[in-house]
Amino acid sequence: MGASMSISSLFGKLFGSKEVRILMLGLDAAGKTTILYKLKMNQTMTTIPTVGFNVETFTYKNIKFNMWDVGGQDKIRPLWRHYYSGTQGLVFVVDSSDHARIDEARTELHRILNDLEMSDCLLLVFANKQDIPGAMDPQTITEKLDLSKLRDRPWFVQPAIATEGEGLTEGFGWLSDNIKKMPKYGGK
Amino acid sequence: MASTQPPVSSHRRPSSATRHANGAGLNHRKSFSTIPPSGADLSQRARPSRSPHPHPHPHPGMISEMDRTSDPKSRGKTASTGTAVSSKHSSLSAGPQRDHALAAARPRKLRSQYPRGDTENHVEYILVASFDIDRGPIMEHQYPVAITGDEHMLAELMLPDQAHVRNQDWTMFFLHKDTSQEEDDAERLAKEERRARRDRKRDRAKGIIHESDDDEEDDGDFDDDDDDEDWDSDASSDSEPEGMEGPPLVYVLNLVNTKQDKTAKRGAVVKAMAICTRHPFLHIYKARFALSRPPTPLLLLALEEYFKSPVPETLAMLFDAVNDMGLSLMPKLSHLERHLLQASDNKDLFVEKFEQMIQARITEETGEDVADQPLDASRSPPKRPSIFRSGTKAHIEGHAAYAVPRDTHEFESKVMYKGIPIPIKVPVAIMPETVGDFSLIKLIQNFSDSHAKSLQTFPVHPHLTTNGPTTHPIIVLINALLTQKRVIFLGHNMPSGEVAEAVLAACALASGGILRGFTRYAFPYTDLTKVDDLLKVPGFIAGVTNPTFEHHPEWWDLLCDLPSGKMKISSKIEAAPITEGLVYFQQQHPAHANLVHHHGSGSGSSASHDLTGDAAFMADMLRSIATRAGERVIRAKWRAWVLKFTRIAAAFEESVYGTSALYIGSDEHETGAGAPVVVGAGAAAGHGYVWVDEATKAKELAGNVTRIEGWRNTRSYYGFIQDVAQLYAIRPLKGLDLAHLHDRLRTQRLSPLQSREIYDAFARHVHSYDEICLLLSVAPESQAGLFYLALGLFHKDRDVRFRTADLLERVAEHEAGRHWWRALSRFEKLAYVRIKKEAEAERAKALQEEGVGFGEVDDRAS
Repeated sequence: MGASMSISSLFGKLFGSKEVRILMLGLDAAGKTTILYKLKMNQTMTTIPTVGFNVETFTYKNIKFNMWDVGGQDKIRPLWRHYYSGTQGLVFVVDSSDHARIDEARTELHRILNDLEMSDCLLLVFANKQDIPGAMDPQTITEKLDLSKLRDRPWFVQPAIATEGEGLTEGFGWLSDNIKKMPKYGGK
Repeated sequence: MASTQPPVSSHRRPSSATRHANGAGLNHRKSFSTIPPSGADLSQRARPSRSPHPHPHPHPGMISEMDRTSDPKSRGKTASTGTAVSSKHSSLSAGPQRDHALAAARPRKLRSQYPRGDTENHVEYILVASFDIDRGPIMEHQYPVAITGDEHMLAELMLPDQAHVRNQDWTMFFLHKDTSQEEDDAERLAKEERRARRDRKRDRAKGIIHESDDDEEDDGDFDDDDDDEDWDSDASSDSEPEGMEGPPLVYVLNLVNTKQDKTAKRGAVVKAMAICTRHPFLHIYKARFALSRPPTPLLLLALEEYFKSPVPETLAMLFDAVNDMGLSLMPKLSHLERHLLQASDNKDLFVEKFEQMIQARITEETGEDVADQPLDASRSPPKRPSIFRSGTKAHIEGHAAYAVPRDTHEFESKVMYKGIPIPIKVPVAIMPETVGDFSLIKLIQNFSDSHAKSLQTFPVHPHLTTNGPTTHPIIVLINALLTQKRVIFLGHNMPSGEVAEAVLAACALASGGILRGFTRYAFPYTDLTKVDDLLKVPGFIAGVTNPTFEHHPEWWDLLCDLPSGKMKISSKIEAAPITEGLVYFQQQHPAHANLVHHHGSGSGSSASHDLTGDAAFMADMLRSIATRAGERVIRAKWRAWVLKFTRIAAAFEESVYGTSALYIGSDEHETGAGAPVVVGAGAAAGHGYVWVDEATKAKELAGNVTRIEGWRNTRSYYGFIQDVAQLYAIRPLKGLDLAHLHDRLRTQRLSPLQSREIYDAFARHVHSYDEICLLLSVAPESQAGLFYLALGLFHKDRDVRFRTADLLERVAEHEAGRHWWRALSRFEKLAYVRIKKEAEAERAKALQEEGVGFGEVDDRAS
């Protein structure tokens, strides 16, 4: 009995059979859909506004990511909450060049994190669009988003240029390392 | 959720004052929502008294022989042949027979389903919405006026999830009118006004008939028809009996189109155009203009036009084009006629009615004074201007202005859009709960194929898994619908139109054209924005494309995943209560109590014994599909399943509760004082579903107990009780259960005496046009047609043979019956001819013997 258990969990580790549900949110035009398709197909696509959502599955570092990208227009933000249940990681995408709406982004982020269903999930912030002159650096983004207020939750800010694919692997590297540590995933 | 949204823009909502100021006629503003009226209202409607007869229903003793025949003329004749004239000669005399034949051959006066000059539009609104980069879905234009209600909600529905990944997506949704008291009153007044107008017109028509030297029979017939027509015309608006579930739904067909556009902000424009109609055949607007390459649907042409010129005039152009579509030559069919047409594959059934409509139109247009010859149009056309079958050579060569459709199931018309004729086919007979075009075959196959590959096992739920854990998924689905569960069809990455089709097919599956209360609670396409409203609805059928729904088992009871063909019973489904009916049944049938698988205890036995017969039914169904039986055949089989379910439920209620409102009729009437005829006293008196023997009955009831108990107290259950009462009022042959009699001929081993009684009951009571329609409906072509009736030609009793021959003669002369007659086997037809000859010979002999007196009577009659 015990032997068979350990074998199955070993197989789980080897083949990454566990599926992890990731939710990617952020204000409209932050670059969510671009990130999704860069990760899935390593392609830069010209994206159009997402009506509703996109969902794709891809494997990275033996973890199968089931990643949801939900449209960010303010009228449809109230729908985000329906995607919370069962989510293990939140990827929050910020347009670092959009100084005008960084406060709006902070409000939305804390609204999400305060939901009971999101209390256990990891937070990865992509400080996107670093290539645009005048983009805020990760340190500024961290301050503007008030991330220091987050206590027990593991979080990480990763600078990125989604269209070039820059920073994406680093971000997901952090995510997969931390997911493996999560009790739900059978981590240490 | 609503509270987190900014208040809806203020420019559109008219004050209530302006609404009522221009509230008359066409531009009448109504408010709409996608959910049925408030929950409190629902629960009230869903729980009338449990009294078995909520409707006044004639006292059994009062139903005498008189009620059995609806045609006063044949009633008179039958009574006299049965009593005054000696029975030996009654069926042999030619006079009454000919009269019956006449009555049988001549249906009621024809009307159009959509008469010319009717103020009701085919299409009520045209809408355009778009996805705004900053604001999300917004409404751009509404024509002719704005639909009141939540405009933002409408825009959201018009732009289904993931519209951005497809360049084209069809979707469908329904709107419920929020009825305010004033609007109700206004509508009732309008209806009364219409009725009064009709009465006046009828009186005038009667006057004309009296002036012309027509016989009195026609007058009598006329009155008789009127009752039916009143009911019919009220029901025709949405092909449901009147006043049942509130105002008709508004059906919306929507097309969304995404155009990549470099000049637009963020590279694309997403727009949607919708047609709102009260006709359930909204799919006709998908009709394609075939000469374009590729063939372009009407709504797409209009949407393309709108991309070019985004102004209200573009909407107006479509609005006018679709409302100009001519449907006035489509005949209106009665309830029974619709049934017959629906169940038949015959492309000629009721073709006469189409010819009559055209004939009447030609008469009208050639300027003949209709008033001079009020009945000529339908009876004996003076001359026959050329009417051709659509698609025939003569028709194509353009000799005919009017054409009879190639297939009487579809009325052919066209919409002229920007000078382009777009052919349209409108279904002639639409059963309740049939909306849009869908395929039951597709639905059944979708969930049968994966089940066949690897047997799906369900967690046991008494209402759903009536054949145990391996109950066929389609049976689980229909059980869920019957017991009013929350059913979701999920089609991730599918066009929302396909999901909507599955929902509409499921509604039709559960309804069978018999039960109601499914489409009204159906959401062919919905999304997360509506989930809070959706969850207020007790029992729904919804179509979604967003897989998030699967992650919320608290939102549904049964999830049907379209891409995988798998169904899932929710882990959070409410347990089925143990009901009185279940307990009574177990007490009454201790031997079968353990077969009732409440809490799964007996599930093994019900699975292996197939008590419900559903496993055999599904096997037969799949065989039919595999052998390429058509959609109509499959729908007819489902209809039979639903009908059987209601009849079993009636039998169950009668046996457990002692009474049932699911069947009205009376078998006690024979004991009524003064019943003039005793023919039906024995065999003809029964009613209800027929089993071979009591043990079989007990087993089948045991298999059905849990879902019947789950069905009681649902909307479709109460709706059915109301329909039974309403149909009873207009039904011919009230005291007689023709289906029961026919089933006995079909399934039971009968003694010659018993079968004689049944054949006699048929022969004695089935005369008028409607009575023959009823007879045909219990002997559908798809089953055995007239086969079992015609077996009466071989009965050992000579009188039975003669009377059966007479009955068949009446059927053969009937407008629809002639097709049934034609399908009769050669063997039976030969027997008919032989018996007719025999009868003729006997009649001649009798005349010789009885002398001249009788002969004179006969001469006059002929």
